[in-house]
This record gives sequence, structure tokens and C-alpha cells, in this order.
Amino acid sequence: MDQKPLIPRWAWTVLSAAVLAAVVALFLTGKPKEPGPSFRHDTSNFEKAGAAQKRFRETARFALDLANPTGIAATADGGLLVCGENTLLVLDAAGKETARHAVAGTPECVAQGPDGRIYLGMRRRVVVLDAAGAAAAEWPELDERAYLTSIAADTDCVYAADAGNRVVLRYGFDGALLGEIGRRDAAREIPGFVVPSPHLEVAMDPMTGLWANNPGRHGLEQYRPDGSLASSWYRAGMTIEGFCGCCNPMAIAFRADGSVVTAEKGLVRMKVLAPDLSLAGVVALPEDLGAASGEAAAAEDNAPVRDLAVDAQGRILALHGPWKAVLVYEEEQHAAG
Amino acid sequence: MDKKDAGFDRRDFLRAAAVAAAGGGALLAAGAGQAERMVWQIDPAKCTQCGRCATTCVINPSAVKCVHSTEICGFCDLCGGYLLPTAKAQDTGAENELCPVAALKRKYVEEPFFEYTVDEDLCVGCAKCVKGCAQFGNGSLHLQIKRDLCLNCNECAIARSCPSKAVVQIPLREAYRVKSFGAPEAHK
Repeated sequence: MDQKPLIPRWAWTVLSAAVLAAVVALFLTGKPKEPGPSFRHDTSNFEKAGAAQKRFRETARFALDLANPTGIAATADGGLLVCGENTLLVLDAAGKETARHAVAGTPECVAQGPDGRIYLGMRRRVVVLDAAGAAAAEWPELDERAYLTSIAADTDCVYAADAGNRVVLRYGFDGALLGEIGRRDAAREIPGFVVPSPHLEVAMDPMTGLWANNPGRHGLEQYRPDGSLASSWYRAGMTIEGFCGCCNPMAIAFRADGSVVTAEKGLVRMKVLAPDLSLAGVVALPEDLGAASGEAAAAEDNAPVRDLAVDAQGRILALHGPWKAVLVYEEEQHAAG
Repeated sequence: MDKKDAGFDRRDFLRAAAVAAAGGGALLAAGAGQAERMVWQIDPAKCTQCGRCATTCVINPSAVKCVHSTEICGFCDLCGGYLLPTAKAQDTGAENELCPVAALKRKYVEEPFFEYTVDEDLCVGCAKCVKGCAQFGNGSLHLQIKRDLCLNCNECAIARSCPSKAVVQIPLREAYRVKSFGAPEAHK
């Protein structure tokens, strides 16, 4: 006689279906736990601040055939110099490449002197090219802490910003080191540069005054050629009027009317400060520079604007590293005309 | 039927099982001597500071802690990893602190420099300070799995949920993966 099974067939079917349903449900709902708001760091609100004060518009973008663009300078004839990995490019006012010069190493910064000579700030020395781009001189190498990040020239001398030693070096045109500017000196009331990351900048204003950023103090300082401090201005803060993060502004350039263009890292934006250093207008915000939070590029590079310049036409030129391009900005009324 | 005539009796089974166990044990012992111990570590170059390290680890609080590479740190007064973006003052007031559990400590060094240290007993590995430091600072703060806390699960729950695949198993001799000044960040 056949024995009755312990568990009837229909019960096996129900049990199997239940196990299968449980496995599918667990598989579909097994999402990782998302952190709550107290664990989230969100600066998206600050990225939109200043949108109402935008006074400039991007009117052109010059693509660069250049690996790792690092520095930009305007030339007296209205063109541009752009340096990058092993290369110096010469562009005309329309952004067309007119010359390309090979350089041994990657210059961090570039400037044109009053006689047309080109000064390249390599990491620990200055290299000089003649107006045609041929090698002219190499100035003595600095110590191993040196990190030249900006260079500027007036009619008397060349200034090189050394972020590693936190000082601005003053050179004669023959490469002789004439002095240092900005080293902390309590007796002369010089606070000293605070440079948490390699972003020490020098720039000449329209009156040939020497300015430097003090990124760790979130401001600008003006120095006389003898190294004495002429004026200083600092404003730390996340608002559009101030400078945020550890080291901002990280790039500066002067316009013909004495206003200064600044670029920031972290909260990536560009703005113009009037000669009295009040906010004159916003040039670009993080979303304009591919640096809004949430964008993958923003996580990879928090300082996409490598350098700034203002050309003879008054256009603001921003060297965008990841995009390998020069972004050209003009004031709204000029852009419309 | 005579029991002696059975093909495979209980005694045969026990003998076979003993041989199998001895053989397996010998195999394991031989293998253990050759295999390198692997541990879970976070690649700081790939980490996107999503916060899941704090909520996904099988232990609570997480085995992931914030570590600080002071050689990279700028010792800034306005520290993006310590202060809230909306901080009213640059001081140690609780209302200004970014860390939800006050695990990051700030100490005055000399004008205008401050030293930042992590209290690992408080840290939950949420990466809020890491994100602030990466965005506004030098990125000296980063997350890492502490080997004295990690259970070294065969399949790490954090690794499974990490959106950037930053949690990987590496040989013990290569741990810890801590950021250092000038060193390449990515470990391919």
C-alpha cells in the first residue's frame, strides 16, 4: 500500500513559492542605507549667490592644443601667452595660435616684460625667452622649498611669487636678486603671506603698483618696491563679497580702470572688485565653470581656473585647466555693443 | 541477510570520513602557509565622500574613521573641514562646527595657524569634514578603515555599496593607505 507523504505536494509548492518570493524581495529592496541630512555637506546654496550681480558674459572660448595649461599673460600687442606642459603658446587676439615654443619642463606662470622678453616661472627658477621665443637666459636656481607660481614685470624689475617660501622675489632684468617682499616682519607691520596651497600671485595695477594676494588671510596686499606694505584688505566669508576656504583669492589681474578681477577655488567663481575693493560685479559662478557641486569634474579638481589676465581690449581672460581653453569675458554693455 | 555481506557498512563510512577530514585539514594547512592576508582599505583618490561608510558598515560605529595627513594640512584658521559654511565665527563654538559629533578638535598653534586632530572614539566616518576639506582645503582629511576595528568580512558591506568602488582588498603589507605630500593618489 502507498504511504501518504509527510508533507503534501501542495504544501511543497506553497513553501517553494514563498522562499522564491522572499529571495526576490530581499534582492530588490536591499538598497544601501543613505546617510541622513546631518551627515551631508551641502554648499549648493552658496554657489548660486551672486547671480543677481553678474555683469559679465562669456563672449568667446579659445580652445588650446596644450596639455596641462598653467599660466596666461596678455601681451602689449593684444595677443596672449599661454604656458603648459613643455610648451609656450603665442596666440593672437582672436585666439589663433601664431607660435609654439618648446620648453624644458612645465612653466607654472608667464609674463611679458616691457622690452618684449618673456619670463617663465619654472618651479625653482626663472627662464627668459627673447621676443621671438628663443632661449635667452636662465636665472639661478632657488632652494628646494621654492615654488614659483606667478610672475610680473614693470619697467624696473621682475617680480616672482614664491609660494613655497611665502615671499615675493624682486629681480633685476639681468637676473640679479634685488630683494624679498612680504616676509613676516613685525617691526614693519608686515603680517606675512599665509599660503596653504601653491597659489601666491603678483600683479601690477594700472599705476604700476605691485599687488599680491594673501590667500590664507583672504585678501590683497599692495607693496612698494622697497618691500614696505602700502595697503592691505582682507575679507573672509562664504558670501559673494568675501573669500572662502583655505586659500582665496587664488588668482588676480587688474583692469585698466583699477578694478581687480579675482578667481577662487573651492567655491569656484570669478568676480571684479572696484578700486575701493567693494564688489563691482560677478564674472562667473561655479555652474559657468563646470564646478557646481554634484558635477564629477568639481570633485576631481577644485581649482579649474588656473590663471587670469586682462588684455589690451579690457577683456577678462580665464585659463580653464580641465577644459584646456581660454574663456573670454566682457562687460555686459560692451558685449552687447 | 548476513550483516557481513553488506557492501558499505557503518565502519567503512567512519573510516572514509576520517580520511577525508585528515586530507582536507592537510590541504588547508598547506594553503594557509602560502596565502597572503588581505585587508579592506579605502583608496582616498577614489573616495567621493558619499557618507555610506558611516551607515553601511556591519558594526556601529563604523570601522571607518577620518585620518589626518598633517604634512598636507595648511593649518588654516578658516578650515573647510572644521567650520560650517555658515559659521558666524572662526572658533570652537559648537554652533560653528561642521562635524556632527564634534570629533574634530581645533587647537591654536601661532597666529594665524591652527592644528586639527581627530578623536577616533567619536568619529563615525561620515566624511562630512573630508568633503569640506577636499572642496575648500588641501584634502588632508580623508577616510580609512581601521584594522583594529574592522571585522575583515569576506564581503565588505561598505565595498558593496561604495558608488566609486573605492573600498578594495589589498595585501596587509600595503596597508595603511594614507595620503602623503607629493605622493601619487590613485592606486591602480
